[in-house]
Amino acid sequence: MNVADWIVLLGTLVGIAAYGAWRTRHIRSLNTYLRGSASTGWGTIGLSVMATQASAITFLSIPGQGFESGIGFVQNYFGLPLALIIVCVVFLPMYRRLNVYTAYEFLGQRFDDKTRLLGAGLFLLQRGLAAGVTIYAPAIIISTVLGWRLDLVIVCTGLLVIIYTVTGGSEAVALTHKWQMTMISAGMVTALVVLLHRLPDGLGFTGAAHVAGALGKLQAVDFSLDPSRRYTVWTGVFGGLFLSLSYFGTDQSQVQRYIGGASLREGRLGLMFNAVLKIPMQFVILLIGALLFVFYQFAPHPVFFNQAEWRRHAADGRFAALEARHADALAQSQSAIRAWLAARASDDATREASARAAMVAANDRTDAIRADARAALASADPRAKTKDSDYVFITFILSELPHGTIGLLVAVMFAAALSSKAAELAALGTTTTIDLWRHFRPLAAADEGRNVRVARRFTAMWGVVAVAFALFAGFAENLIEAINILGSIFYGVLLGLFLVAFFLRRVGGSAVFFAAVAAEALVIVMYFSLNIGYLWYNIIGCAACVAFSLVLQAVLPPRVRADEVRAR
Amino acid sequence: MTLAPGPDERADSDPPEVPGFRTWRGLYLFVFGWFVLVVVLLTAFTAIFS
Repeated sequence: MNVADWIVLLGTLVGIAAYGAWRTRHIRSLNTYLRGSASTGWGTIGLSVMATQASAITFLSIPGQGFESGIGFVQNYFGLPLALIIVCVVFLPMYRRLNVYTAYEFLGQRFDDKTRLLGAGLFLLQRGLAAGVTIYAPAIIISTVLGWRLDLVIVCTGLLVIIYTVTGGSEAVALTHKWQMTMISAGMVTALVVLLHRLPDGLGFTGAAHVAGALGKLQAVDFSLDPSRRYTVWTGVFGGLFLSLSYFGTDQSQVQRYIGGASLREGRLGLMFNAVLKIPMQFVILLIGALLFVFYQFAPHPVFFNQAEWRRHAADGRFAALEARHADALAQSQSAIRAWLAARASDDATREASARAAMVAANDRTDAIRADARAALASADPRAKTKDSDYVFITFILSELPHGTIGLLVAVMFAAALSSKAAELAALGTTTTIDLWRHFRPLAAADEGRNVRVARRFTAMWGVVAVAFALFAGFAENLIEAINILGSIFYGVLLGLFLVAFFLRRVGGSAVFFAAVAAEALVIVMYFSLNIGYLWYNIIGCAACVAFSLVLQAVLPPRVRADEVRAR
Repeated sequence: MTLAPGPDERADSDPPEVPGFRTWRGLYLFVFGWFVLVVVLLTAFTAIFS
C-alpha cells in the first residue's frame, strides 16, 4: 500500500465514522437513540439491513468459497426472500403496533418476564459470542497479509466503531451504513471490472465462465436430496428460510434496523429491497471467486495463499519441492485449458471430450498438490492455519489492483466490519438496557436522559467485550461457517418462541419457556452427536420448541395455566 | 392478552405507493415471482456452464 491507498483507506473510514458521530452528537431522545430517526426512509433502512448482514467475512470468505468450492453457497440465501415477506406480513406490523424497542419486549407482553429474559438471553449469548468474530475475522486476514500488528488493528477498528455507535446510537448506525454500503458496492464493482480486464486476451467473461464451469465451480443449484450435503436447494429454501426468519425476525441487530423509520411502509419497502437484491449480490460475490479461480489458472500464484503462514515453515526442504511441483502442474493445467478452449472452438465433440478430461485431470493434479501443501503445513506444525481460501481475494487485491483502488478495497473490508459491528453493538446495548436494566429497575424508565446514558454505557461495554474477545480468543478457521453454525444452534429455538407467540395464542409463558429450554438442549446434543447439514438445526430447534410447547401446555397443572390466564 | 390497536394498524391496508402496485399482496407476489425467476436463471446458468 502506498500513500494514495492510505489516504483513501483512512479518508473513507474515518470520514464516514466522523460524519456519523458529528451528525448525531446532540441526540438526547431515547426513541431516536434506540430506534433511529422517525423520518428514515426505505432506502436508508434497506441499505442498513443489507450492511448489517454483510460483514467483512462476506467480502473475504465468500470469494474464497467461490474459488475453492464453487458458487453453490448461493443456495444458502434461497430462503431469505420468503423469510422477508413473512417478516413484513407478521413480525413488523406487530412490533410497530406494540411500539417496542426490542423484539424480546414483545415476548414479555405476549407471555411473561421469564420468557422475555430467555429470548433476550439467547440473543445476548449468541450475538455476544459472535461479536468478537466480526472484529477478529477481517483483522487476522488483513494484518497477516499486510504485516500489520493484529492487536493494533483490532483495537483501532474497535475504537472507531465504539466512538460513533456510542455517540449516535441507532441513528448513527443507519447514517453510516448508507455510506459504507455505497462504498462497498463501488469497491466490489471496481474489483470485478479489474478482474475481467486481467483475464487472458480472448478469454473474456464467457470463456472464463466455461472454464470455471467445466472445472466444477459454477454449479449454482443442486437438487440432491442427500441430507449430508451442506448446500442444496432444499437446505437453502427450508433451512435458509428458518435461519433468515430467525435472523431478520428475532435478532435485535436486524429488528432495530427496520422497526424505526417514518412508517410501516418504509420498513416494509426496506426489507423488500433486500429480498430482491440479496441473492443476486451474493451470486456476484461468489462469481468473483470463481473468476479468480480462472484468473489464477493463467497467472502465477503461490501454492498456499496465506504466504505469511507458509513462510513461517518454508525452511523445510519439502516446501520448496512442493512449490516447484505446483509451478510445473500449473503450467500443464494452463496448456490443458488452452487445448480444451481450442477443442471447443473446433466443434469436434470427441476432441472436446478428450481435451476436457485432460483439463480436469490436470486441475485435479494441481488440487492434489495444494492438498499436499496443507498436509505438509499440518505435519510441520499441528497448530498451523491450513485453510487459505480466505486469503485468495485479498491477495488478488494487493497484487493486481492499481494503487488507490487497493486502499478502496481494503477500506471495503473494514467498512463491512464496522457496519456489522455497529449494528451488533447498538442491538446488544439496547437489549441490555431495555430487557435487563429497565426490567430490574422499572422506576428508572421514566427518566429518559438516564436511559440514554445507560444505553450508551452498555453499548460501550459490549464494544470493549467484543474487542477483548477478539484479542484473546482463538477462532475457527472458516469464520463465516463458524458464525452460521453458531446462529443455527440458537436461532431455531428463538424463532420457535416467536412463532408460538404469533400463531399459538393458547400457549402460555411457562409452557413455552420450558419447551424452549428443552429444545435448546436437544439441538446442542444433536449437534455434537449427528452429522447433518447445520442449516437443518434451525428447523429442528424451531419445530422442537413449537411441539414441546403444545405438549407442555396440555400437560401442565391447571393451577399454572390459570395463573397465566390471570396474568394475561 | 388484548393487543391495543396502534397507529400502524390502519396502514396495513394502505397501498404501498409503489408505481404498478395497488396492494401489498401484489408487491409480495412480485418479490416471490422475482425469487422464482432468479432460481430458474441460476438453474439455467448451471446447465449452460457446468
